[in-house]
Amino acid sequence: MTVIRALDKTMTCTEFQDALPELFESQADLTGHEHLKSCENCAALVRDLQYIASQARLLLPIHDPSPAVWDHIQQAIRQDKPEPPATAIRK
Amino acid sequence: MRRNPPIAGEQEAIDKAREGDARSFEILYAMHKRRVYSLCLRMLGNVAEAEDLTQEAFLQLYRKIGTFRGDSAFSTWLHRLAVNVVLMHLRRKGLPQVSLEETLEPSQDDGPRKDIGARDLTLSGSIDRVTLERAIENLPPGYRLVFVLHDVEGYEHNEIAEMLDCSIGNSKSQLHKARMKLRDLLRTGQRKEQIA
Repeated sequence: MTVIRALDKTMTCTEFQDALPELFESQADLTGHEHLKSCENCAALVRDLQYIASQARLLLPIHDPSPAVWDHIQQAIRQDKPEPPATAIRK
Repeated sequence: MRRNPPIAGEQEAIDKAREGDARSFEILYAMHKRRVYSLCLRMLGNVAEAEDLTQEAFLQLYRKIGTFRGDSAFSTWLHRLAVNVVLMHLRRKGLPQVSLEETLEPSQDDGPRKDIGARDLTLSGSIDRVTLERAIENLPPGYRLVFVLHDVEGYEHNEIAEMLDCSIGNSKSQLHKARMKLRDLLRTGQRKEQIA
């Protein structure tokens, strides 16, 4: 991280993009990064990747399995026996 | 993991299902089927396989619910069980992306491009859920697994590394490549829409 900061004024786009995975993982605020102040292309890239990650977090489980899945589960359970219950549940 | 608030009536259903009450198990299925199936579908990108593995996950739940000790939220425990069912299935199929770290890399053709000097449209604010879901479906399997587990399901890299038997660095690298590839896919889709 220290190395990245020391270099960021003179970073090329390739160097910046190579460092991006670690920059994202560090959860640093990239808006003030020197390279982004002078590079619209990398700034757009960072905005897009942040947008994709934020939209993914909003994806809800919206798909239901077909009713046949429950039918098959019931059939299999009829031929199955459950393990004996544990003696206690920690609540 | 995230998004696992307590569900009204869940604890009672768990207690009774542990005692073998069929109706309570059905209630647990109704509570969690959508989340488990959506997880399987996103990880696999295939409806038939996702339904088979949803079935398998709930059968394992039926067999193992007596071993749930309440150390974590029930939904967290169940979803980890479902992830393991999917990963076991992928390993049985012999897909290398979940067994050998070095082969997590998709082929060069599948990989994301560096984005040097391509100043055109940006995505921000313009992608709907359906479009994003479709783009995720089109990710190479290795990328899709890590992206779904981290960005959609909220697992941490150390958890993903353990699940996929790869290094934490590899998980981080795959996630970044997955996001880059998604950006490619989404921008390509936007360009096609503009041309049409």
